[in-house]
Amino acid sequence: MYLEEIEKYYETEKQKVFKADFLDETQIENYEFWDEIEIGKGSEIPAKFEVKAEDLKAYARGVPDDNPIFFDEEYAKKCGHDGIVAHPYFSAQVRFFLLQGGHGSWLRTPGSRNPGQIVEYFDPIRVGDVLTLKLTSYDKWIKRGKYYMRARCDLYDQHGNLKVRNYTTLVLPRTKSDVLKFVKGERALEA
Amino acid sequence: MADKLTFDSIRCGDVLPEVTQHISQEDIWHYAAASLDMNPVHCAPEWCKTAQVFGIPETVQHGAQTQSLLCKVITSWGYASGAMLKRLESKFIKPVPVNSTCTYGGVVTELHPVGKGRDFVTVELWAKDQGGDKIAVATAQVVIPQ
Repeated sequence: MYLEEIEKYYETEKQKVFKADFLDETQIENYEFWDEIEIGKGSEIPAKFEVKAEDLKAYARGVPDDNPIFFDEEYAKKCGHDGIVAHPYFSAQVRFFLLQGGHGSWLRTPGSRNPGQIVEYFDPIRVGDVLTLKLTSYDKWIKRGKYYMRARCDLYDQHGNLKVRNYTTLVLPRTKSDVLKFVKGERALEA
Repeated sequence: MADKLTFDSIRCGDVLPEVTQHISQEDIWHYAAASLDMNPVHCAPEWCKTAQVFGIPETVQHGAQTQSLLCKVITSWGYASGAMLKRLESKFIKPVPVNSTCTYGGVVTELHPVGKGRDFVTVELWAKDQGGDKIAVATAQVVIPQ
């Protein structure tokens, strides 16, 4: 039922094709679990994200941040930018669109928690950029009984320019069995 | 358009205008659609009653939405003057249950006159819930090009 509520806010082509059901048990088979994370493993995600104005606008509206700099090109240029600006955390939408299974699937894991993030900006994301994601499993650790992992997510444009680097940190259910408990709505983590 | 912010006009101790935002379940669903983060811990009230990922039977605001609202303090303050974030490090301290009203703010703590067009400032950001409890902190480096 909640997915129908979310659909009411869809504005973009990408939202309409996105696999929205994080509780679909069949896709869990294709996930990587905390126990299996191999530090140093890197991959280049084959899917690409072509940035459209509607993607930038939809993100800002959802925050909500109604600054016209995110959707009014003329205004953005008057402000000294070279076009519509991406909200500073727009990269969240890009990562969720590109990481739908396999390496990086931790992002979608039911029961995962977000303890904090690091973002480094190298070059503004612009309309027309075709973004690719290089992902590295960067660190994992146990602290106060909780299982942390950190990935380095580098977004590049079609010219090979590094745009944004995210150090994405999550607290995860440790095993596949823990994740499957969450899928069923059972508690599987100490609070 | 407001007066342009320039690096020379900024002082350590400058307080940025605060942002206050109430978050309903509809707002969380809207952010889920925007970010494509449809994790049930944010989006599925019935599931949260039993799964209780944060030890409470309610949905919580996305950490990424908290971070985005911290960014709004910066975008509202400086982006109309051509400012851009250079780095952001955030830490989420306390989960934010649905129907919370939080306030987000910041103060300039460092000036970095490293060269015209590259000068940047450091802003310490904070977020508090309606009870005054800190829910998140962040350190932002912001390039002020003028």
